Formats: sequence, C-alpha cells, structure tokens
Amino acid sequence: MAPEIGLTEVQADLLEAIASALTGVSVDYRGLASLGPDELADVLVGRDLAYRQRIVHHMVLGELVLRPIPTVVAYRVAKYSEALGVKDDFVRVARRYAQGAYGLAWKDLQRNGFAEHVHDAGDGETEGRSAPSRGAPAPFASAEVDSELAARWIAFEDLPEGSLGHSVWEMYDGRGFELPGTPGGAPAYLAQHDFVHVIADYGTNLKGELEVFAFIGRADPDPKGFAWLATLTGLFETGYIATTGFFDRDVRERVIQAPGMDQRIADAIRRGKSVCQNYGIDLFEVDYHELAGRPVPEVREMLGIPPKGPGSVEAGSVGLFDLAGMSEGQRRVVAQRRGDPT
Amino acid sequence: MNRNFTQTIAIRSDDPAPIIQLLEQWDLDQASADIMGYMGVRFLADRENPGQYLIIADFGVVDPEVSATDEANRSNERPETQATAARLREMVRGEPEYRHYDELYRTDF
Repeated sequence: MAPEIGLTEVQADLLEAIASALTGVSVDYRGLASLGPDELADVLVGRDLAYRQRIVHHMVLGELVLRPIPTVVAYRVAKYSEALGVKDDFVRVARRYAQGAYGLAWKDLQRNGFAEHVHDAGDGETEGRSAPSRGAPAPFASAEVDSELAARWIAFEDLPEGSLGHSVWEMYDGRGFELPGTPGGAPAYLAQHDFVHVIADYGTNLKGELEVFAFIGRADPDPKGFAWLATLTGLFETGYIATTGFFDRDVRERVIQAPGMDQRIADAIRRGKSVCQNYGIDLFEVDYHELAGRPVPEVREMLGIPPKGPGSVEAGSVGLFDLAGMSEGQRRVVAQRRGDPT
Repeated sequence: MNRNFTQTIAIRSDDPAPIIQLLEQWDLDQASADIMGYMGVRFLADRENPGQYLIIADFGVVDPEVSATDEANRSNERPETQATAARLREMVRGEPEYRHYDELYRTDF
C-alpha cells in the first residue's frame, strides 16, 4: 500500500505498531522487501479466510490514512485481496476514496459496513434500542425521548460507586452529557459504546474515541467490525467522511498522526483481539444494563479485557476520568461542576 | 494524471420526484456493486426554465490502465445502465440530450 515515494511515516508507524502489538514481533516496515500478491497468497495458504481478511484490513488501514489515496495504491491492494481470495467491502470503499467518489463510498460503507452490522445487532437483545431503517444508520440518528430508558439511566446514579452503571452515569454527569432517553441524549444503541469507555478506560476526546472504536471493532468476531476504525479514520484523520450522525468530521488535528497514537491504536486493537478470543461477542450486543450493578473490574474480567500496555500508557492513553482524556468543552464543564476557576 | 469524464443529460419533466427516486436507487445499486468508474451524480433544476433539468454524472479512474472515458463506455454497455436509461426516457418529455466532457479542473478535496 506504499505510494510511489514509499511508505509514508504514518503508514509505517501505525502498521509497525499494530503488527508488533498483535504478534510481539517487531517488524521494520520501511525495510520490508516487496512481496507480490501471489507470493503473499502462498505464504498465507494455510490460514483461514478470517485471518486473510484481517491481513487485507491491515493493508486497507494503511491506505485509509493516506489523503489522497493514489488510484494505483487502491488498485494494488485490490489485487492482493483478490489473490488472497478475500472479497472485502473495505477494499472497495478505499478504491472509491481513491477515485474521489466520496458520496458513493459513504453509501457503500453504510450499506455494507456498520449499518448492516447494526441491522444484524438490532434484534432487541438490548432494551431501548431503536429499530433501524433500511440503508441508513438510524440507530445513530437523533434519539427520541424515552422516559423509561431515561429512568433506567437516572437510576444508575444510585448504584454503588465503582459499579459499571454508576461509572457511566458519572461520565455523563461530569461532562454534562444528556442521558439517553432525555431530550438531546444519545440514541440507546450509540450509548452502548459509552459503557466500553468505562470498561476499557478510554477518554472521550477524539483520541479516546478512536481508541474505543479500534477496540470495539477488533473485539467483534465478525471482521466487519473493522468498519468502526475505518469510519473514525475517515472522520478524524483524512476527512473522507463528513458525518455519521453521531460524530462530525474534525480534521483540525490529524488524530492518527498525533504523537503516540500509533501505539495507542495498536494497543486498543490488541486488547480488542483478546476480548474477541475470550468473549467472542460484539460489544454493541452486550446487555450492559444487566451488568450495571457489578463492579467495573468484575465486568472487565468477564469480558477478558487485558490491562493497557505500558507503551500505550506512556504514549498518552489516559483513563476515562483523566482531564487529559477530555475535549476542551468537556474539561470546561467538569471545571464548572467542580467550581474550579476557568 | 487521472482525468475524469462527465456525461450531462438535459431533460424536460413535469415532475422531478420520480427521477430523484430513480437516481437514488441507481446510487444505492452502484454502491453495493463491483467498483466501476461511476463516481456519482447531480440533478439540477434550471431556475430560468421551469421544467428543464440537467443530470450530471461523473466517472473516474479505478484501474490505472483504463481511462475514465472507457469506464463510462463500459458502464453504458451494462444492462442495468440501459434499463435505467430506458426508465428515465419514460419519465421525461421529449428525448434526453446527452453531452460528454473531459474534466480539466476540479476544486481539490
């Protein structure tokens, strides 16, 4: 996925960090000899389709951090994917970005990426989830007021400190987020990822969101979970995506290129992989309301979430309630609530 | 340099709504199909001439060995393209007027 000038710094750093985090082997991507599509297919001949698909996603991620994506790069990745016998939607999405067909790419992502994924998950396993409509990410559209859902979220305040429910309530309350079910609150489905902020202990600024969704995406046993990282990369790194209804494009600071983010994303993927192997259920499908009264460490253990890697912490991955993990606006609200001078 | 190709279709219609629906469905179908040169479409209403509309369809390069114009020609030969064109003809007054352009400049993304 190298452009004519060779792998860019962000490509090499990110892919190296992910490979190292997942395998424990340090690979110098800048010095790798090129391997043709058929040669790579020969090397991976003993691997199953899911493994090969994740290899393709590794290549696609290397493309998605480029802006623009050279047509020849997108075409080349498609050839590798074809040689590996992988027919993957994200290869096509990257080719559409390379072509400049951003609107079509978004429709493609919606239909075949997370929207379809959401449809699969939208069978009422989690109470209060709104029914998605065909072809659109309805679960992330503006939520309707739902007094029953709101009541359940408000009740989290009364749960013991350190429980999952109280912690997520504290996160909402401290930052001034409206609770799900109340006017302006997050849709119930989207709010699922807020429990993951608590459990995985990631912040709520753009960097923290990227960590959360890299984690959630890799924790999903279905490789389509890659859609989350692909989408957030488009929102917060390259700007290929304008809005998802729940996040808007913000490329004032290229998040993946920010110092340490290669390590942080790689570690989130490593932790997600561990959850995938230990728990094997899409984290958007977990009934967190059922688990709300349990202590957070107990829920972490249940899901098999390993601690953050030291490299990730050194690179700046802070906890959910650390001010450094909040956006400027969130920090302002926290300061106001604490009565701190601003 | 990859040069995009654009096809414009000038039409007259009393009701643009079904044409919008047709284009939306076309886009949805293209989004889930194997990638080809089609990039997207715009549908414009002429403010000075009520009932006059312009469809602008863009095509780009997806295979470094195939030009956008050739991609458009390939697209044109597909049965689904022909079927959509036939449905469009049923929705308009008179014959659609087709024009073809090479893109010389575009505001960069």
